[in-house]
Amino acid sequence: MSPLPIRVRLSLAFAAAMALLLAALGSFLYLQLRSSLDKQLGATLQAQADAAAAGSLVEKEESVAQLLGPDGRVIRGFDAPLEPPATHERFEDRHVAGLDDNPYRLLVVPVEGGRTIVVGASLEDRDEALAGLLAAFLVGGPIALALSTLLGYLLAGALLRPVENMRRRAAEISTETTGQKLPLPHARDEIFRLGSTLNEMLARLEAGIARERRFVADASHELRTPLALLRTELELARRRPRAPEELRAALDSAAEEVDRLTRLAEDLLVLARVDEGQLPLRQEPIPVKDLLETVADRFSEKIEVGAADGDSIVGDRLRLEQALGNLLDNARRHGAGTIRLEAERKQDRVELRVSDQGPGFPPELLPRAFDRFTRGDEARERGGTGLGLAIVAAVAKAHGGRARAAGSTVTIELPG
Amino acid sequence: MRVLVVEDDPKMAALLRRGLVEEGHGADVARTGDDAIWMAQAVEYDAIVLDLMLPGRDGFEVCRQLRADGIWSPVLMLTARDAVEDRVAGLDAGADDYLRKPFSFAELLARLRALVRRGSAERPAVVEVGDLRLDPATRQVWRGETEIKLSAKEFNLLEAFMHRSEQVLSRDRLLEHAWDFAYEPRSNVVDVYVRYLREKIDRPFGRASLETVRGLGYRLRTDG
Repeated sequence: MSPLPIRVRLSLAFAAAMALLLAALGSFLYLQLRSSLDKQLGATLQAQADAAAAGSLVEKEESVAQLLGPDGRVIRGFDAPLEPPATHERFEDRHVAGLDDNPYRLLVVPVEGGRTIVVGASLEDRDEALAGLLAAFLVGGPIALALSTLLGYLLAGALLRPVENMRRRAAEISTETTGQKLPLPHARDEIFRLGSTLNEMLARLEAGIARERRFVADASHELRTPLALLRTELELARRRPRAPEELRAALDSAAEEVDRLTRLAEDLLVLARVDEGQLPLRQEPIPVKDLLETVADRFSEKIEVGAADGDSIVGDRLRLEQALGNLLDNARRHGAGTIRLEAERKQDRVELRVSDQGPGFPPELLPRAFDRFTRGDEARERGGTGLGLAIVAAVAKAHGGRARAAGSTVTIELPG
Repeated sequence: MRVLVVEDDPKMAALLRRGLVEEGHGADVARTGDDAIWMAQAVEYDAIVLDLMLPGRDGFEVCRQLRADGIWSPVLMLTARDAVEDRVAGLDAGADDYLRKPFSFAELLARLRALVRRGSAERPAVVEVGDLRLDPATRQVWRGETEIKLSAKEFNLLEAFMHRSEQVLSRDRLLEHAWDFAYEPRSNVVDVYVRYLREKIDRPFGRASLETVRGLGYRLRTDG
């Protein structure tokens, strides 16, 4: 992890790349100019030498020319011999005594009769041009580098500002705040996508927290109602001397509330285990008909059981009995007419169905039927915990199946 | 006293009724909000014990409806929920007190006695004078259907006027109600803010509800 902020790191990387680019560009221009100047100079000297070979030995300003004999003596042109007689054509850069202080480029050309032509031109202009270019780069380069780095730094800042804005808002978001969103940049770029993805995550988390809070609020409501009854019942019983029948009635009522609290606590425990992970299941083969008859026998009402003989499923008998018991209890309390408990084998699954002849679920309740503490207004009568169907759904899910409701029928689908 | 118990849980309703009757009070039970409103209109109860969770209309709605119908019997809200928002919403809906389940019956009785002592004078949650309406909970003000934006000071001053409509209020009294000890000691601060208020609640509507009473102070007129 580098301790430098991204903005600085970006700017440094940008500056390094820019320096490299500027240096490469400078070198390229320098070499290009030098080669072009050399070529030009070479061509001039060549022309001069050609002219000398043709007989006109010209010495212009800042140039020199001479014709040497085979013995190296000057036949014509510049007084002092510049080079020894040559056998092949060559260039030579050096200072020439008797001329100015600048280096000269000499072209030595052997011509017929063993003679040699030497022509030369001053390198002053060429060197000055190259030095000028170099100076321009040494001064302008760092300035250009500094300016572009500053620009890069500002640009990086502008690009990263939405990130900083999002960070600052994110620091303010907690479980106490609701509906908070990260600010999104206007441009639909990667940062926008990151921000909207994080916002979607926030919305999901918030929905989860809201669900959790609602559950806790509902649970506390469900726990407080029987507790309130217990407390008021006992307090009233103690307020004044009571006849034995009165006390017995108060104790019966208190016992009823204790039963209700016990049921609620048990249901909450099952659901807490579901939330922790998997509901522990003791899987075993269960004869379907036997399972249905066992559950139906627990109720005093007449329940029609329909199941094929000999069919069996694999599951946790205790949990399935609990789930079916919840469904029968619902049908008994909220339904009407004959209650039917049936099992049917489809291709890859077994359906356990509880139905009655009542009006069924109110349509507005259906989507939430398996949620915790969902209850129709008129169904908020005494006895139910509001968790029965939630447990049915949890048991079905733990078995790899699912529960669904339609009209006055609830179906548990199990694989196998 | 005569108490109306609004509670949908039959066991709880019966217990409350029995307890109240044993203490020598009269107690009637309503199972739904609609029954409660109907019964409260028929009998002037000394107090109403209102459960928040009711089938159909919940306790908040019932309380608002009671107040809207001009029933000012003190309302003690009873609920198994204890979220702060619920308590705030309950009191802002016009309830006078709030008790959480499970409660002590002795405390319920004491609170009912305290409520009855305060009486059942009109004390609307939203104050109305003429077609001016002011909601202290949301700090909103309307003239008819038009919402008026007021600054905090202007709002406090208007609230002071609206709770005492038709009364002549001296500058000192207005200072007492709408300013605290930290106010700028400028003698004409009340006059300045009354002028601001007139610019907002009167002039745009062609009204003159804020009246100057020469030598005495100001008055908010119901018919202005």
